[in-house]
Amino acid sequence: MSAKRKPWVKSAFSELNMTPKASPTAASVKRTRSASAAAAGKSRSQNTTPTTDAVVDLTVKENEKDGLTPTVSDNWMEGFAPTTSDDLAVHPKKVCDVRNWLQHCEAMRKKHPAQICLLTGPAGCGKTATLRVLAQEFGYELQEWINPTDCEEINALGDQPNEGSYMGSQLVAFKSFLLRASRYKSLLTAQNKRLLLVEDFPNVLLKDATATFEDLLDEYVNYGKSPLVFIVADSKSRALNISYKLFTDQLKAKLRIEHISFNSIAATIMQKSMKRFATMMQQQQHKALYKVPTQTVLDSIVVCAQGDIRNALINLHFGSLKGAPSMATKQLNVTATSKGRKRKATNTLKSIGRDESITMMHALGRVFNPKYNEDNDKCLLHSPEEIAEAFCIEPRNFINFVHANYLPHFHDVANVNAAVNDIGLADMLLHEYRDDSLSLVGLTIAVRGCMVANVAPVSGWMPVRGPKRLTIEPQLTPAEQKLLGVGYAGISKRLYASEYSSFVKTIVKQTN
Amino acid sequence: MALWVDKYRPRELSKLDYHKDQAENLRNLCKQSDFPHLMFYGPSGAGKKTRIMCLLREMYGAGVERLRNETMSFTTPSNRKIEVMTVGSNYHLEVNPSDAGMYDRTVVIDLIKQVAQTHQIDINGQREFKVIVISEGDELTKDAQHALRRTMEKYVATCRIILSVNSTSRIIPAIRSRCLGIRVPAPSENEMTAVLQSTCKREGLVLPPELAKRVVEKSERNMRRALLMLEASKVQQYPFTAQQQIAELDWQVYLRETATQIVSEQTPAKLEKIRDRLYELLSQGVPPNLIFRGLVEQLVNNCDMSIKAKTLEYATQYEHRMQNGAKHIFHLEAFVAQFMNIYKKFLAELVMTDDF
Repeated sequence: MSAKRKPWVKSAFSELNMTPKASPTAASVKRTRSASAAAAGKSRSQNTTPTTDAVVDLTVKENEKDGLTPTVSDNWMEGFAPTTSDDLAVHPKKVCDVRNWLQHCEAMRKKHPAQICLLTGPAGCGKTATLRVLAQEFGYELQEWINPTDCEEINALGDQPNEGSYMGSQLVAFKSFLLRASRYKSLLTAQNKRLLLVEDFPNVLLKDATATFEDLLDEYVNYGKSPLVFIVADSKSRALNISYKLFTDQLKAKLRIEHISFNSIAATIMQKSMKRFATMMQQQQHKALYKVPTQTVLDSIVVCAQGDIRNALINLHFGSLKGAPSMATKQLNVTATSKGRKRKATNTLKSIGRDESITMMHALGRVFNPKYNEDNDKCLLHSPEEIAEAFCIEPRNFINFVHANYLPHFHDVANVNAAVNDIGLADMLLHEYRDDSLSLVGLTIAVRGCMVANVAPVSGWMPVRGPKRLTIEPQLTPAEQKLLGVGYAGISKRLYASEYSSFVKTIVKQTN
Repeated sequence: MALWVDKYRPRELSKLDYHKDQAENLRNLCKQSDFPHLMFYGPSGAGKKTRIMCLLREMYGAGVERLRNETMSFTTPSNRKIEVMTVGSNYHLEVNPSDAGMYDRTVVIDLIKQVAQTHQIDINGQREFKVIVISEGDELTKDAQHALRRTMEKYVATCRIILSVNSTSRIIPAIRSRCLGIRVPAPSENEMTAVLQSTCKREGLVLPPELAKRVVEKSERNMRRALLMLEASKVQQYPFTAQQQIAELDWQVYLRETATQIVSEQTPAKLEKIRDRLYELLSQGVPPNLIFRGLVEQLVNNCDMSIKAKTLEYATQYEHRMQNGAKHIFHLEAFVAQFMNIYKKFLAELVMTDDF
């Protein structure tokens, strides 16, 4: 890149027109998160009428009266974001993986600058945080793609009044972002290394265009000048699973995409970072806002969050705000640890926190190996209703899985009989389309039936098999078709299978 | 070369082999220039389709025999393309909406609209309506049947519908009342023997009467099955002998073996094997209700008198559930599990009484 910087040359980005007005600290490259926020803020301040100004003033005064220092930034969470890799709640090995990749990028910078990496993992497991911290460590400037909304597009171009506003295709915009943002640096930052981040996938790509995505990446690998990171949160449904749909194994192999998959954060690490948050809350700038949460609340927040650190932080923030009553917790269950000597109570937050979500395999395990409460033999530990509710969106699928796998877990035919009876009943209820609520009832019946009927479960590891799909393929050989003649189309598949098939086969075989 | 069933199928009402009075009635029906919607009902292989074709020939002349295949494609409301094979002539169209599965409603509506909205070009004083033959009408979903009811009435001027069904009980009353029902009973054994003999005569074969009798017995008074069986037996061994082996339907043989296995062992592991066998049958396309029926017959034959009643009672219960449900394998398996349970208990009791 030439060392000459001529301010009158129109940049590939439209920043240049904005820079004299925007404060130099806030503005970054277009479409980075902070830049868009700043742009929005700027346009607002430009367009605000005197009345809104007055309102803003009032609130400021009120704050001063209360003696509260308005220390909380627009995003209070940023204050708690990790700044060094030691602060990260992510498992060190994963951090190491990402670091290795960045080192690899450094090494390849001259020859192949356009390395691609894909980070996946459940929501709130610290994917973005890890990348941010490490990018800072390596001196990369992070440039993120944000899906432009239509109005943003107009605004961005609205800064150039005479060129008219138009709506470009989002895909074109995305492409130009990839190719140009990696090539040209912002005039406002000193750092010369850039790292592109895509967390927000253009909607077009989600719809169908896997082929275009491949072309796009192909082009990027050839022409891009900086490493590119995709961050994808896991999702349960396959249709929404970006990492599955867009990043096929072939594509990953072809473009040498580094795939690092994060796990949800372990409870112990979570505990540690909750402590860090708690101490930070007691620092000078936060002290006015927060009180010290009790240990029970901290513990239950960790349990509730299920490895989602962002959610844990939000809960902590909410639970320890000054003036709020302490959060209600409820005892979840009592688990006996270390030979039953020490009993440890687990609490969860009563009103907030994520719903407990269980995976299919987990739920199947609970169905096939029913556990009873220790003190009350008649009471199932995991209530069938809860399991059923977790899968009420796709009851049919769950029942099919139960049916495909239940048999090896039973000892006796009498118990099997009871279970399959209920599964059949559930199928009948599910087929009843006139009442929506019946599907949940059916699912509950199937789950409970299986659990209760299994008096003596077979223990041991059994692989889970997927339900069988029936593909009826009465493909006729030409000879058979000839024998049947034109009338063949008038014979239905089922009739052919039940009456004709075997005879026709023998006749054809013997005559040839 | 064609199958005997097609080759020697009577083409005219006057040439039908049995139910001659009924044929006379049908001819009278055609003498007037019009007829209502018809519903032919009777067991499989009784000759419903044969009679429908004869009736159409009586009506339109030899033109109906110039058949051609056509694949029609339909788009469902959910934008799914389905293709249905039809066979038809200039005057009629035969279709099997049940092949479209749950989308049969779309097929029924679209097809009838397509056919009915094109008026017949009156060349030489032909009828002014076309005929749509819907085979296996009882396999239509309730949804499709309701759709049919409305379209039947709306387009009565330009098209007639002939339904061919096995049992009227699965046809909604609204359609039953709109059609003239014509029952086609299964042929008697003597009638069947006569047909087999005449077929063999036309083929220039000699058929021993004993063999004819055995084929008729094996075929369960199903004319089509009897003819196919005879032809398959012929290619296996000719000249015929009275005691020769008769070709059987392979799925029936398979089902018989399955039943023996059920009786031999009653454990969850065995049930799993049975399930695989049932899946095998289903994936061959054998209708689940036939599997169920065959299974019950075999099991009842194989078990002790004291548990027969109970077995049948449960069979009815699970069969009913199967009709109402979607996953046939669940209910087949439930029945097998129930039978295993009953049988196991029976065996245990037997041992106990033996001890005393």
